Amino acid sequence: MLVRFRLNGRDIELDVPSNETLIDTLRLRLKVKSVKRGCERGECGSCTILLDGRPVTSCMLLTPQVNGRDVVTVEGLEGDPLFNQLVKSFIDNGAVQCGFCTPGILLTAWAAIRENRFRSMDDVARYLGNLCRCTGYIKIAKAVWNVASGVRK
Amino acid sequence: MYSFIGKRSIRKDALPKTSGTIKFVNDLEAPGMLIGRILRSPYAFADIRRIDASEAERLGVVVLTPDDIPQKPFNPRLVSIHEVTYKDTYVLTKKPRYVGDAIAAVAAPSEELAQRAIESIRIEYERIYEPILDPFKAMEPGAPLIHERIMKGSEWVNVERNMAATLNYVEGDVDKAFRESDIVIERRFKTGKRYHMQLEPKSVLCIPEPGGKLTIYATTQTIHNTRILVSQIFDIPLSKVNVVKVPIGGSFGSSIQVNYLVPIAVALCLKSGKPVKISYTREEDILDHSNFVFHFRMKIGARRDGVLMGAEFENILDVGAHQVQPYPLLGTSLGWFVSMYKWRNIRYISKAVYTNKVPACALRGYGAPEVQWAVETMMDELAEELKIDPIELRLKNYVGRGEIFWGQGPTVKSVIKSDGVPELLEKGRKLIGWEKRSHPSRKKGRYRRGIGLARGFHTSGAGGPISGEVIDYTGCILKLNEDGTLDYITALQDHGGGTLDAHVKIISEVLGVPPELVNLATASTENTPYDVCTHASRGTYAGGEAARRAAEIVRSKIFEYAARIVGRVVNPEAFKIKYDEELKQAIVYVEGTDIKIPLSEIARIAWQKNWGTIGAFVSYRATSAPPSFTVYFVEVEVDTWTGKVRPIRVIAGADVGTLVNPDMVEGQLHGGFAMAWGMTFTENTVYEENGELAGRGLITDYKIPTITDMPTPEDFIVITADTYEPTGPFGAKGLGEAAMNPAVGAIANAIYNAIGVRFYELPITPDKIVKALRERGEIP
Amino acid sequence: MVDYEVVAVFYRLPEIRYYRPSTLDEALKLLGELSEKARILAGGTDLVLDLKIKRYNVSDLIDISKLNELRYIIDEGDRIRIGALTSIQEIADSSVIAEKAPSLKKAADEFAYWQIRNMATIGGNLCNASPAADTAPPLLVHEALVKTASIEGERIIPITEFFKGPRQTALKPSEILVEVAIPSKPQPPWRHAYYKLGRRRGHEISVTSIAIAASIDAGVFQDIRIALGSMAPTPVRARSVEVFLKGRKVSESVIEEAVEKLSSDVKPISDVRASAEYRLHVSKALLKDMLLKLVKGGGE
Repeated sequence: MLVRFRLNGRDIELDVPSNETLIDTLRLRLKVKSVKRGCERGECGSCTILLDGRPVTSCMLLTPQVNGRDVVTVEGLEGDPLFNQLVKSFIDNGAVQCGFCTPGILLTAWAAIRENRFRSMDDVARYLGNLCRCTGYIKIAKAVWNVASGVRK
Repeated sequence: MYSFIGKRSIRKDALPKTSGTIKFVNDLEAPGMLIGRILRSPYAFADIRRIDASEAERLGVVVLTPDDIPQKPFNPRLVSIHEVTYKDTYVLTKKPRYVGDAIAAVAAPSEELAQRAIESIRIEYERIYEPILDPFKAMEPGAPLIHERIMKGSEWVNVERNMAATLNYVEGDVDKAFRESDIVIERRFKTGKRYHMQLEPKSVLCIPEPGGKLTIYATTQTIHNTRILVSQIFDIPLSKVNVVKVPIGGSFGSSIQVNYLVPIAVALCLKSGKPVKISYTREEDILDHSNFVFHFRMKIGARRDGVLMGAEFENILDVGAHQVQPYPLLGTSLGWFVSMYKWRNIRYISKAVYTNKVPACALRGYGAPEVQWAVETMMDELAEELKIDPIELRLKNYVGRGEIFWGQGPTVKSVIKSDGVPELLEKGRKLIGWEKRSHPSRKKGRYRRGIGLARGFHTSGAGGPISGEVIDYTGCILKLNEDGTLDYITALQDHGGGTLDAHVKIISEVLGVPPELVNLATASTENTPYDVCTHASRGTYAGGEAARRAAEIVRSKIFEYAARIVGRVVNPEAFKIKYDEELKQAIVYVEGTDIKIPLSEIARIAWQKNWGTIGAFVSYRATSAPPSFTVYFVEVEVDTWTGKVRPIRVIAGADVGTLVNPDMVEGQLHGGFAMAWGMTFTENTVYEENGELAGRGLITDYKIPTITDMPTPEDFIVITADTYEPTGPFGAKGLGEAAMNPAVGAIANAIYNAIGVRFYELPITPDKIVKALRERGEIP
Repeated sequence: MVDYEVVAVFYRLPEIRYYRPSTLDEALKLLGELSEKARILAGGTDLVLDLKIKRYNVSDLIDISKLNELRYIIDEGDRIRIGALTSIQEIADSSVIAEKAPSLKKAADEFAYWQIRNMATIGGNLCNASPAADTAPPLLVHEALVKTASIEGERIIPITEFFKGPRQTALKPSEILVEVAIPSKPQPPWRHAYYKLGRRRGHEISVTSIAIAASIDAGVFQDIRIALGSMAPTPVRARSVEVFLKGRKVSESVIEEAVEKLSSDVKPISDVRASAEYRLHVSKALLKDMLLKLVKGGGE
């Protein structure tokens, strides 16, 4: 069926089977590889995208569900000042190891900071549910909090 | 002191990783690519009579059954020498021995079609057996044999009582030692069966090239062993197989062996003549491999004054349905045990046993977290019995500087030259408030806190002066470009910990070329010297030393060329090279003179004057595998009503010699602690009676720690020791595994200090804690 | 010949016909025609997983996410009406819910993790009817009323009669859940408490969860409602405990005696997450603690 949506600022129109998941549409048809297949069961968050500005797991979305909606991945945030701040903070704080979970975490953190959800370190833990196996989360928490607390000032 | 080493720096792949442009294997595509999928056995123990793939063939897909593949058994892990490589695996099998064993495979233009084809294949079974899920039952006389005959090296051997391998060792007289001991403690320990849960599910892409060559991209810790195994199974010369190194999404040991999907993809590729990609779902990944289950019986004897007299260690390893590396693990388990403390007299009896479960492979530490948990639990008990301070007891008995250290088993021995244990224990005890600990009997109320300590180590690689049963050498190529920048090519893999950035820093330190101008080149088997595998925490220690040697060779050649340029008669030994802060590049100079030439100029002149390329080709075997010592002090809080535990504060101490990447040292400790937390409390793959994974292998029920389970950044303190390892590049040692090894013991000892209960079976679930407390009447 | 069973390797979604009605009437008409063959797709966080693991065999999906008329939180004074398509995160963010149904807010706060909360809906959580449904215990103690719609008209089902079994509800195949209404009774003042216990500290399916609404006046339990999740084939009210407490003077011994009655209200199972003994033991301990805290004037 015909699906129209906005991806990183571009209008997309595709004819897809109705049972195609958004992650497959993004990765296989549109070659957006930053969205990762980590579990395809909505558990790990590596496939996170922003749907109308909110983080959701693209592996659990059928592509027709995003008809008429706005999808953003890290490719679409390239020039964004807050995103660049976050990336810099991640890099400076050593919060990147194997990198598989990184795009999903960056998107989640970006959306949360924009909505002013990180009011304390507890909040960081509450909204950052993505799984990471390498870092133990501590440098990620630090990197995110540095930006969030800086932005709030 | 150093220009680059020890300074915090930006890792080279940081931008590709944060921008999402970095490509893992499953992100790669090739024109005309087919997607492969594997038919997996629904039964844990069965013999197949017939496979009917006619429906799949009618769908027009490429189909492979066991009859299409050379029936050569192999072991996917080629780190051990040939003579002790046990082979019981086939690319596809008619004798599945666990739920998930690969029976057939298809490749089709789309994943959807491939899956439909898989589902259309019909299997007729000759016999279905009752699965054996307990290694002790497997060893009982009369138990059906999971494998009857396997190959060891080039010989066929009969399997007795489902024992995959055995290893025994005796030193001294243990029985006499126990008789002479004032106290003898014996305990049994059992672990769960953990899964690596590396975020990247394993994948492979195999591409046929003109001329009969194959190019392979695989999730692997060893491109060279991948190449060699493929060559061995399919009888293709190594010169016709090229394995390209690609980034991997974490590993933790899950890709030390060549993964089962690689030869399957190669076979599909050979049959179809097209590129084939196979990528596991998460459930397939959990069925592909998980960790060993360890059953220990440990008995230790000591004198009243705390001196250890002897130890007996019995180790039963549950290896699952196929051997990946149990035999060397029997050796390393002993090695870890023996190198923790001076037992003086030892008896070791061990067996690796087959069961109808997912094949076990190394998981970060390769037995060390398990052994160190058990040993540190017993040392804690011993200290309490003898009324000696636990720290004093450790210091009195541990294997430290100047002593012989076993490292990775009986054939890998060296003398310890750097040892930061006393320093770490001293610093750590102050930071955690060790003296303020109270006995568990004094703790009341719903929430109880406890402080625990454990120490441990891991080797830096598996090198040694003599060649034993383990292959361990590495190499690299370093060349100077025509503009003074460098290309560095190595087969060593970075799992994420930043190993290759450490190499670059080492090169920069020797040559004064800033890290930004050292290129980490695309590496593949055809343009790199052999590297056995990035495991055993050898990346920085062995790989970094190879890089350093290459840089030294390049440096001496640069000085030769500099001498030609300078004209005045100058002894090449007078030259020095350093990084110039102002010019932001390397310059060659002579002290006390005005001689000063930028490296870029030397390179340009050499090019213009036809002098030749400066480069180095290094193949290097470390003569030592020095221990990196780590120490954990952990404070936990136990909710005695729910049995849930949370971390209050962690002091993680590491002796890694010279710190090359301080950020990455901390990162390893954070990650190691998180993994240890999961190992202690939640991680276990559970089997139904029919051999299937409970919960269908969904990770909904394989819980790894999330951010909410970890302490805040302020509550996790990292301390390092001021040591220098003379055999390591610039004094550095590894850390990847040492970062985790003792943490489980520390957490377990903290639980004891909180509630006065010790647990001898992992994971320590809330269920078990509450049950134990109720039995003791601690809670109603 | 034995049929190959796709054991743990499922991921291929079934072929489906996908409908996206723009109005509720359209949706109801569709559902009326397709009935048993169709399932309603809202957030999809449960349904898409269930389709992947072949828990259901479905040929038609009716995506109701365009029906914005079902997305609202309205405070009408004597009750709060929540549209079925309201997301769990919207419920967690709502100041109305925070004030008038704090246990529902807490359940929403602790629901899975943020990505899931953004898609999951309250209607979906109820219709999926997992025994562990997070929104159920708070709604049970509020004695919420579920409104359904079909081509035959509307129906009100009290939440206490909504759950029939694991993944089974009182919904007819032609019905869509459209609203959940929470009666808010300011007098007498109610106290609320909620606790969710998982194996980790976040991102969890509950091992047990407890919601309490209590009206305490003149040192007596005037009225009390207790609901538990993950402790029975459906989320349940602890009727024996309630009956015992109602009308009794508040005291620690009364509470202790009451909590013991929990055993007859629940039927926990042992599974890969926890054993039945553990679940029962911990539920009792937590329930007692929550009641004690409630009577002291605090909530949870």
